[in-house]
Amino acid sequence: MIEGVGALADALRAAQIETDQSTTVVVAGISARAIAFADLTDDDFDAAWEQPMRAAIAAFQSAHQAGHRRIIAIVPTIGMSGAPMLSHAAATSEAIRVMVKSAARQWGVDGMTVNCIAVAPILFGIDPADVGAVSLAPPALAGAGAGNVIDDIVPLIRMVADSDSHHLTGATLTADGGTWMSP
Amino acid sequence: MTPLAMTRLAGRLAGRTAIVTGAGQGVGEGIARRLATEGANVVIAARRVDTGQPVADAIVASGGSAICIKTDVSSRESVQSCVDATVDRFGGLQIMVHNAFRGASPHRLEDADLDRHWSHMSRTGVWGVLFTGQSAWPHLRQSGSAGRFIIVSSPSGIEGSANIPLYSPVKAAERAIAKSLAREWGPVGVTVNCIAPVAASPALLTAFDRAPALKSAIESRTPLGRVGDPDTDIGSVALFLASDDSSYVSGQTIVCDGGSFLGL
Repeated sequence: MIEGVGALADALRAAQIETDQSTTVVVAGISARAIAFADLTDDDFDAAWEQPMRAAIAAFQSAHQAGHRRIIAIVPTIGMSGAPMLSHAAATSEAIRVMVKSAARQWGVDGMTVNCIAVAPILFGIDPADVGAVSLAPPALAGAGAGNVIDDIVPLIRMVADSDSHHLTGATLTADGGTWMSP
Repeated sequence: MTPLAMTRLAGRLAGRTAIVTGAGQGVGEGIARRLATEGANVVIAARRVDTGQPVADAIVASGGSAICIKTDVSSRESVQSCVDATVDRFGGLQIMVHNAFRGASPHRLEDADLDRHWSHMSRTGVWGVLFTGQSAWPHLRQSGSAGRFIIVSSPSGIEGSANIPLYSPVKAAERAIAKSLAREWGPVGVTVNCIAPVAASPALLTAFDRAPALKSAIESRTPLGRVGDPDTDIGSVALFLASDDSSYVSGQTIVCDGGSFLGL
C-alpha cells in the first residue's frame, strides 16, 4: 500500500510493487516551495509541517492497525543536510525519518520492521538549485541528482520489504547517487 | 595580558542581550544563569511569572542583569511582544535561545492521540522555533557575527525514543530547521546550532520519582555515570555557542549527555 500524495506517490502506485511481506510505504508530504524562514506565514507552516506530520502519524498508525509487517517511509535528503529556504520542508522530512526510529523501537517486538529511504530532493519536486551544494565533493555516481523512481527506488523498496530483511529496522538507506554521505 | 584574557575578565557576553525561553526552571534556568555570569543581559521568558521572576531576581541579586517577561512560545504575538520589550529595554538582541517545551508524556505510537500527545509538543517545540526565530531574526541580522540562534533539542531527536515516540520527530524537526537556517543565515554571520542535553530537569526528576529504576538505568548507560547539571554541564555548552568562541560553528548539534550517544 502506498500512502501519500504527489508525483512520487503516484509513480510508486503505478509501479504496482509486489512484496512478499505486507507493506505500507509512506511517502512524506513535502512542500517544494522555497520560502525564506523569515517570510513563512502560519498558513505556510501549517501546510508544510503540521498537516503532513499528522498525515504521516495516521499512516503509521493505520499500517500498525492493519498488521503490516513492513513500514517504509520515503523522504528527501534535505532533512539530513538542511536546505536554505526550505526549512519548513526539511523539518517534516527529518521528523518522519526519526519517527521511523521510534516506531521501530516500539513495534519491533510485534515483528514489524520500520525503515526509511532517503532520496534525491528532485524526486519530491524540489529544485536542486534551492538546496544548494550539501557536500564539498561532487555526487559519487554519474547522473546523480536526476533520480529515477522505477530504476533507483523500487528495487530498494522490494529489498527492505523482503522477508530476508527481517533484521533490518530503524535504518535510513540513502539513495541519492552518493550526494549526501554523512554520517 | 592578552586581549582574549581581558575580554574574559569583562565577561564573554558583556554588552550582549539574550532571551532564554522556558528559563523559569531546569535547563533553561541553567542556561540563563550561565549566560548572565558572563555579562549578558538575560531575559527570562517564562510562561509562568511565579517561576521566572525568582530566577531573574536571583541573577540580579548576584550582580547580573536580568528581567522576566511572561511569554507563551506557542503564540506568535506573545513571542513578538517579548522580543519587542527586550529590545526596548536593552537596545538590541544578539542571542535567542529556544528551550521552552511541554507536552511530553509516555505513550504508544499506535494509540497516540494527536490532541493529547502531539499538539503541545509540536506547538511549543517546532512552532516555537518558528516564532522565536522569526521574531529574533531582524535583530540577529543587525548583530551580524554576534548573532546566535540556539535551539535546545534532544538526543531523542537523533536516535528516536521507545517511550515517547512522538517527542523524537519534534526534536528532529528542530535540528533540521537549525541546519537549514545555518545555511540561510550564515551569509550575514549569524550562527544557528542545537544542544541535545540529558539533564536533571524538573521533568526528568519527576520521572525519576515515578520510576526510580530510570535514574540508575540512565546512569549505568552513561560513560560519565551521572545525569547532567543544567547550569554547569548544559549552561556551559550554551555559553560556548553564544560566545565568540564558536563563531565558526554553525548547523551543528552538540550532544551533551555524558557520552551516552556516540552515533555521529
